This record gives sequence, C-alpha cells and structure tokens, in this order.
Amino acid sequence: MIKSSLSAVNKYWWIALTSAKSNLAYLAEIGSRVFFLGVILYIFLRLWQVTYGETGSQTLGGFTLPQMLWYLAITESIILSGPRVAQSVDQDVRTGAISIHFIRPLSYPLYCMFNTLGERTVRFAVNASVGALIAFLFVGFVPVNAMSILFFLAVLPLAFVIDFLGNFLIGLAAFWLEDTNGLVLIYSRLTMILGGMLIPMELFPDSWQNVLKFLPFSAIVYAPARLFVDPNLIFFQEVMVRQVVACLVFGGAVFAVYRIASRRVFANGG
Amino acid sequence: MTVLTNYLKLAFAYTKLNLNAQLEYRGAFFSQVVAMFVNNIVWVWFWVLFFSRFKVLRGWDINDVVTLWCIAASGFGLAHTVCGNALQLPVLIARGQLDVWMLYPRALLPHILLGRMSATAWGDAIFGYVIYLIFIKPDLQHFSLFVALTVSVAFLFVGFSIFTGSLTFFLGNSESLAEQWRYAMITFSTYPATLFEGGVKIILYTLIPAVFVSYYPIIALREMSLFNAAIAVAGSAAVVAAGVFVFYFGLRRYESGNLMEMRG
Repeated sequence: MIKSSLSAVNKYWWIALTSAKSNLAYLAEIGSRVFFLGVILYIFLRLWQVTYGETGSQTLGGFTLPQMLWYLAITESIILSGPRVAQSVDQDVRTGAISIHFIRPLSYPLYCMFNTLGERTVRFAVNASVGALIAFLFVGFVPVNAMSILFFLAVLPLAFVIDFLGNFLIGLAAFWLEDTNGLVLIYSRLTMILGGMLIPMELFPDSWQNVLKFLPFSAIVYAPARLFVDPNLIFFQEVMVRQVVACLVFGGAVFAVYRIASRRVFANGG
Repeated sequence: MTVLTNYLKLAFAYTKLNLNAQLEYRGAFFSQVVAMFVNNIVWVWFWVLFFSRFKVLRGWDINDVVTLWCIAASGFGLAHTVCGNALQLPVLIARGQLDVWMLYPRALLPHILLGRMSATAWGDAIFGYVIYLIFIKPDLQHFSLFVALTVSVAFLFVGFSIFTGSLTFFLGNSESLAEQWRYAMITFSTYPATLFEGGVKIILYTLIPAVFVSYYPIIALREMSLFNAAIAVAGSAAVVAAGVFVFYFGLRRYESGNLMEMRG
C-alpha cells in the first residue's frame, strides 16, 4: 500500500520535474514576455506614487510605498505566470485527445496539475526575479526576513493548486459549452480584481473585505504577496486554513464534474 | 470621393459577411461578446473602488477615467470589428500568406484588414458606447464628439497594429514583439496620461502613442475643445500614415510561403 502510494507520488513528481525542465529550455521565450511585466509595474509605481503624494500619507492600508510596489511585483508575477490550463483542457476535450489519457496509468486531472505546477514554477521564478529587480530599482528593498520567505513559500504552492483547480473546472465545461474562452476571461479578471492584484484588500470598502476574505481569489493572489511584505503568524494560519478549505471544495468539484464528464466521452475508430 | 464611397461599401459588405460567419457559432460568439463586456466592467469597477477611496488623481476624477475606458474600449472594438485582420498581420506576413490577397483588384492593405472580424471586439465596442451613455449621461454635443473621437481612436489602433505587424517584413517573425508592443499600447491607453512624466511622456507621443487615446480625447470631451480633438485626430492620422508607409515599404521584401489557400 505504502509502496504503491510512494510510486504514485514519484510518478507525478517526475511529471512536474519534466515540465519544469522543458520550460527551462525556453527561458528566452519566457524572458521576452517580461517586458509587459515591466510596463505594468512602472504604471502601478506611478499610480501609487501619485496617490501617496496627493494624500500626503506615509502608509495606505498599512502599506508603505516600497511595500506596495513589492506587493504588486509579487501579485503581478503570480498572475502572469499562469499557464493556459483551461484552453489546454478545452482542446483535449474538443479534439478527443482526452481519451488517450484514459488508457494511461495516470489520472488525467493529476497529470494536468503536476504538469502545470512544473511549468508555473519556472514562469513564476522568472517573473518574480524580474519583478524584484524592477521593484528594487524603483523603491529599493523592503525588510524581508526568514519568516516572510518561509510563509510565502508555504502558501504559494497551494495558491497555484487552487488556481489550477479553478481553471481545470472551466476547461471541463467544454464538455457542455460551445466555447469556454469567455469563462476563462471572466475568471481571470475576477482573480485579478477580487484577488487583490491591483489594490490590496485593506483598501477595499470594509463591507467588501469581509466577503472577499471568504472567496478563493484572495488566497491565490493577495495572501502570498501580503505575507511576503508583512509576515504575520496569525494571518498565515488563517490563510492556510482558507487555502486547505478552497482546495477541498474545488478538488471535490473537479472530482464530481470529471466523473460526470468522463461518461460523455465517445471514442470511435482505431 | 467615388473611391472612398466604394471602399466604405466594401467595408460594410465585409463587416456584414464576417458577422454572419461569426453568427454561425452563435453560442461562442455571444459568450465572447458578453465576457469582454463583463471584463471591461470589472476594470471600471476597480476604478470606481479606487476613486471611492481617493477622490481625485492629478486633476482627474472618476468621470474622466470612465470616459477614458469608454473611448479606448469602443475605439479598439470598432477597429477590430471592422479590421480584425490587423491583429493577424505578423502571422500572415511571417507565414507568407499574403499571396491570396494579392490576386484581388482591390488595394492590398485595406482588403487584408477587412478580411476578418474579432468577436470580442463587439464586446469592447458595445461596452464603450453603452457605459458612456449610462455613466456619463452626455448631451447630444458631447455624444457626437465622443462618437467622432472613437472613430479617430479606431484608426489609431488599426494604424498601430499595421506598423507593429509590418516589422515582420524586416525582423522575421515579430509576432511576439508586436503582441508585447500592442499590450503596452493598450495598457498605457487605459491609465490617465497625467500620471506619466519626463522620458516616458515622450514615448507616449512616439513609440507608444497612447496620449492620442488617453489624454487629448478626454480633454476635448471635458472642455468641448475642438482644438484638442483636432490634435487627437492628427495623432491618429500620423500613426496610420506611418503604418501604411512601413507596410508598403516592407512589402518589397515579402516572400511567398507557396501555400495553397482557398477563401470562401
């Protein structure tokens, strides 16, 4: 029992590793796309510089200007590192390629998840490196300690898993819908805005903050960035609980939808 | 004048044809239109949130930023509803797929541009006009100027896409470069131009000509200033002229992909 579990873990670990390695081979291609990250960070820097200047405050929502820019560098890196999971699943469903996965000794959702995690790790590392460099050039360092990095590294993988599950569910909608691009667009914008990519939760109206806390978007974007610039043990524990709950809810939904969807696959020919 | 009328008729015929083609996949078409509309609403909602906390940003208030979003979205939408192929130009050039367009008696560039429609562009266009009417509640004068300026912005976006896409003639496949450049243009066009200073301001007048979307049209509408509107139109005309020049100059370097293609 233990041996077979270890073997399964090993199998998916290798899938993630292979995906990361194959993405490392295209570092220049990934690097060429960080131009946009530079543009967006510069715009945000100006937006917040002007806002801090006009309000005359040292802190907004508890963030100093350097903390705000480092926060935005992290949130942008998270958002821009997202692979095209839903589109890929959509294609597998429409072309029938998904049926090939049924005869493999692999779970299709787990295969996609570890493949995505491998790819996203590389993309995020590149984006975060460039984002950190830009943030450093604009506002210098923010005080970061071992706790910041530890908390950040603990919540980031779960943030990626939740985001994957959301995207995977949208991809599975291709079994029923003519086109899933619209859903992908709306999901990504909700993640950006409600997740706190542009504006931290503390600056949302108070009534909104209470609602947004319980949505999964903030656990994907806001929480890792917040813990990086302002580590706090109580908040870390809260985030972990919310992430685990989101994983269970989304994971359960993926399990149920995938089971129903699998029955709709018809394979013809040889 | 006859030539202009002739091309307007061609544009109308292509738009109708392209729309009918899109409507063959009704579900996909409407879902993309609605999604783009909702996407833009989400961005405007962000600005509403922002201005509920900070009332004024360098002299701009929420009405100015909503006007900016409406102008940029409807201009972009109008551009790619009618000239959807502007976004595909780098791919068509890199793959040597211009041959089929060269066989027609029409001028090459306008004919290529009209050949496709972007479904999501409808969502942008509808969003711009509807939200402007609902949120800003303009009088007839303001709305007429708004519509005229969206046409100017549409020309600017098409000209910019032609310019960046035509670099493929010189650089090989510049699809990624054109895409990144276009994203930068769109992004700068959706933030108040008054945020930027110094060298970046020069870039916004030249390499990324976003001031003709995010500054002059807004000032023109705020002050009902035909002078600022004229500057916006002049900027768009300059970008279109630069794009057309680079396209036809680069066309001399074009190599066919020897592809067999059919157009329905």
